[in-house]
Amino acid sequence: MPEPQEDTQSAGGVKRQFRSYLRREPVILALLSALAVIFFVAVTALSHIYEAQQEFLGNRWFMRGSADLKQGHFESAVTEFRAALLYSRDSYAYQLNLAEALIGLKRNAEAYAYFINLWDREPENGLVNLELARIAAQKRETDQALRYYHNAIYATWPGDQQVQRRDTRVELIEYLLNIKAKAQAQAELIALAANLEDEPVQQTHGGDLFLQAQDYEHALAEYRLSLKVQPHDPAALAGAGLSAFQLGRYSLAENYLQDAVSTNPNDAPSAARLKTAALVMQMDPFQRQISVAQRDGIVLEAFVAAGQRLESCSAAGAAKGPATIPVAQPGLSEEWAKMKPRITESGLRRDPDLVNTAMELVFGIERQTSSACGAASEKDAALLLIAKLHEGN
Amino acid sequence: MDIPPNPSDATLLEERQPALGLPFLGRAPEAFMRLVFREDRFFLVLSVFIGIFAGLSVVCFRFAIAWCRIYLLGSGATLAPLRMVLAPSLAGLVIAVLVIHVFPLARGSGVNQTKAALYIYNGYIPLRTAAGKFITAALAIGSGHSLGPEDPSLQIGASLASALGRRMRLSRDRMRLIAPVGAAAGLAAAFNAPISAVLFVIEEVIGRWTAGILGSVVLSAVSSVVVMRWFLGSESMFRIPAVQLERPSELIAYSVLGVVGGLASVAFSSGVATLRPRCRALPRWTQYFQPAIAGLLIGIIAVLGAPQVMGAGYVYIDEAMHGQFTWQMLAILAGLKIIATLLSFVSGTPGGMFAPTLFIGAMLGAAVGGAEHVLFPHLSGSPGTYALVGMGVLFAGFLRAPMTSVFMVLEVSGNYSIILPVLIANTFAYLISRGLQPTAIFDVLTRQDGLELPSMEEQREEGTLRVEDAMRPASREVLDTVLGANDSLDQVLQAWDAKFPEVRLVRMDPTGWSSITRPALEIMVKEGKGNLTLGSALSGRQILFLHPDNPLETALRYVDRWPLLPVVSRADFRKLEGVISQEDVLRRYQLFGEEDTSE
Repeated sequence: MPEPQEDTQSAGGVKRQFRSYLRREPVILALLSALAVIFFVAVTALSHIYEAQQEFLGNRWFMRGSADLKQGHFESAVTEFRAALLYSRDSYAYQLNLAEALIGLKRNAEAYAYFINLWDREPENGLVNLELARIAAQKRETDQALRYYHNAIYATWPGDQQVQRRDTRVELIEYLLNIKAKAQAQAELIALAANLEDEPVQQTHGGDLFLQAQDYEHALAEYRLSLKVQPHDPAALAGAGLSAFQLGRYSLAENYLQDAVSTNPNDAPSAARLKTAALVMQMDPFQRQISVAQRDGIVLEAFVAAGQRLESCSAAGAAKGPATIPVAQPGLSEEWAKMKPRITESGLRRDPDLVNTAMELVFGIERQTSSACGAASEKDAALLLIAKLHEGN
Repeated sequence: MDIPPNPSDATLLEERQPALGLPFLGRAPEAFMRLVFREDRFFLVLSVFIGIFAGLSVVCFRFAIAWCRIYLLGSGATLAPLRMVLAPSLAGLVIAVLVIHVFPLARGSGVNQTKAALYIYNGYIPLRTAAGKFITAALAIGSGHSLGPEDPSLQIGASLASALGRRMRLSRDRMRLIAPVGAAAGLAAAFNAPISAVLFVIEEVIGRWTAGILGSVVLSAVSSVVVMRWFLGSESMFRIPAVQLERPSELIAYSVLGVVGGLASVAFSSGVATLRPRCRALPRWTQYFQPAIAGLLIGIIAVLGAPQVMGAGYVYIDEAMHGQFTWQMLAILAGLKIIATLLSFVSGTPGGMFAPTLFIGAMLGAAVGGAEHVLFPHLSGSPGTYALVGMGVLFAGFLRAPMTSVFMVLEVSGNYSIILPVLIANTFAYLISRGLQPTAIFDVLTRQDGLELPSMEEQREEGTLRVEDAMRPASREVLDTVLGANDSLDQVLQAWDAKFPEVRLVRMDPTGWSSITRPALEIMVKEGKGNLTLGSALSGRQILFLHPDNPLETALRYVDRWPLLPVVSRADFRKLEGVISQEDVLRRYQLFGEEDTSE
């Protein structure tokens, strides 16, 4: 039976040959490569399942966190955003919201760590820069705060960039005003004014900021722009009145303040300012539209008021003791007493230069007593403002 | 040193390689295949595949841990108290059954098992161990046991590599090496830090550098990290804070951290060394409950206010780096993590020590940094910097891998500015730990398991005998190359001393050294070649020469072939510093043995 033996031998030979081929490196490498590909495909499939689950869980916790953040439940929001980050540690949105929630809990140090990490990833992100600026401002790191505020102003913002940038600049101006950096605030305000839209609310707010920065000219301009669109806006009217008042344009101030008070009768500061403005208009002897007799009458009244002010101030000083209130220069009393006999209607008519001399003394008395004795009567306040108005003339 | 080559692995491979069996192409393909697929080159290619398989396995391992965590502990950041207690306890019961009945080799961290494969089992690690480690460690870490995924990944990589090597029927030398190659791949993928993985395997497992070993280990580590990053991204494990060192005097603050870290390392390793044998000595039935009890206690710690101690804890390391805990809380967490890790590890729960070590280091570092900031507010280092340095400190002090600890921090932080604090603090921690606990933790564990593996640390510290320790001055052993045989024989006979061998060295200007014996000279004279100069007689018969700093074992390899060897200066090989013979070498070894015994 030779045939089966041959078959067996040949089968064994083929088997041996096959094994020897298998042992050879090229075949081994091909097999390894195939195995690696199969393993890789299997892990890729597994990875898709894993990633889908991670994404699902991350989103679920993020949604819960966002809802809690909106409702102001910062503690829960922090826990939920942390859970979301377990599934997507580098998610920008998750980190940003977690940091926002931490800010809500006033855990600024932790929030700062997240924000600074986010800043490293996207230095041009407006919100991150703004939050970093706020944290720096709270830490009184002015340079850092200004740097981040400026970054935020020129950064990229989601949605309406113009609005976000303007609001950021407004916040920067408020910060500058808070730290009494008026010059820097004014510079920012000028930039802000250029970017303000034709919206009365914005213009009024711009005017308010100019007012706080003591830039009354620009403030008046902004209020006027606002009043063009909304002529009866009480805030703009009051602001315009105040600006004109501060600029010494009492006639204009009177107009605006009258409108402001009539639009909003509860506006007590405007009403008080209106009264002062009216008094200033009434007590200013250097107005062009008044007659000589009227002028002389005003000078007489002012001279008497100054004398009374001098007397009350000296009495107050004597009562409280010389150490507490510095008494007005005694020379002024003597000067006033010396001049008093000459300050009559006929005297003023005879010597028109006496008007100037008398008013100079009045202004001197008002300035001195105001610094020595503080707040005065309405008349004295008006005289002081008139003195300021004609300072240097 | 001029050393003749040993028989190469290539020769061995050629001997056992079958013929290609493609007669129509003649012998050319066979020669080509031999050239391309020499075993050392093939081993390098194989290392890449090992890296790929290890990387893919580690990715799956990470998925498994994440899934276990989600389904056992819940998906939220805040865990339910009942789950915190039940999950690690019940998982502990399942793990105990699996480890006792199905995967007995899955117990422990995995580093020693890989070393044992290298030194005892010729590279053999059963594939079943990888499966066991994968399942039990994923269950343990995912359920909240205080262990990490790095060491199991290392063992999974080693086990896969070993299985592959067996299928390839590699030579014994290659088989021994293949487990560490897989270990490096597994560790690199788990750590996302190829340099640290390569260094750790070379520093702690293999213990020596050669181009071949380094090439294989690097290739496997790099390919595994590439695979891991393909699936899991290339982000660092932590958000790295800004690192700054404004004044050199601040290094004192980091030295304090090194001292504290060194003491904490000693406490941690002493705990492991003391408690592990006691737990193992308990009756066998208790082993079914030890992981569960450990899990229960860890759960109680978590419920009482420190859930951070559960699992690997990378999220909390990240938080510590960014100042989200007070320094008091950080110190408490470091202490509780030591307790939790001791409980998990000594109960025989499979899992790694790397992550807990990093956790403890980070917490301790940030705590020390925070406390120092309270005392000295001008210090510029942030809590994150101290946490980073602290991780390296514990790595150096507890795992006793000083080089790896430095590179690990550099690699993780990606910031070179941290190098000085890390070097200073790690050195302090390492020296204190070594001083108070002479045996490294991995060696302690090995000896507790009844194995006697070489200790890499002891090897590093071991004194090496050199040629200069055994050589003696060359007073009369040198003959000049221009001398004839007659004169040379006269010179030899005049200075004859029975104490010395009958051999003389000949300085062969300008090519090197040779030697000749007295009988050889006598034969030359008898044969009438008395006027022949030694230079012409010995032409082409040069001998090896040694340098004083060569290891003595190198000399031992050659002294039986040449009875007397010249020891020459490295600056000028013609300048003789001394001579050495077999007798000198043996005498020195004998003396060394006596010194060793007396110590």
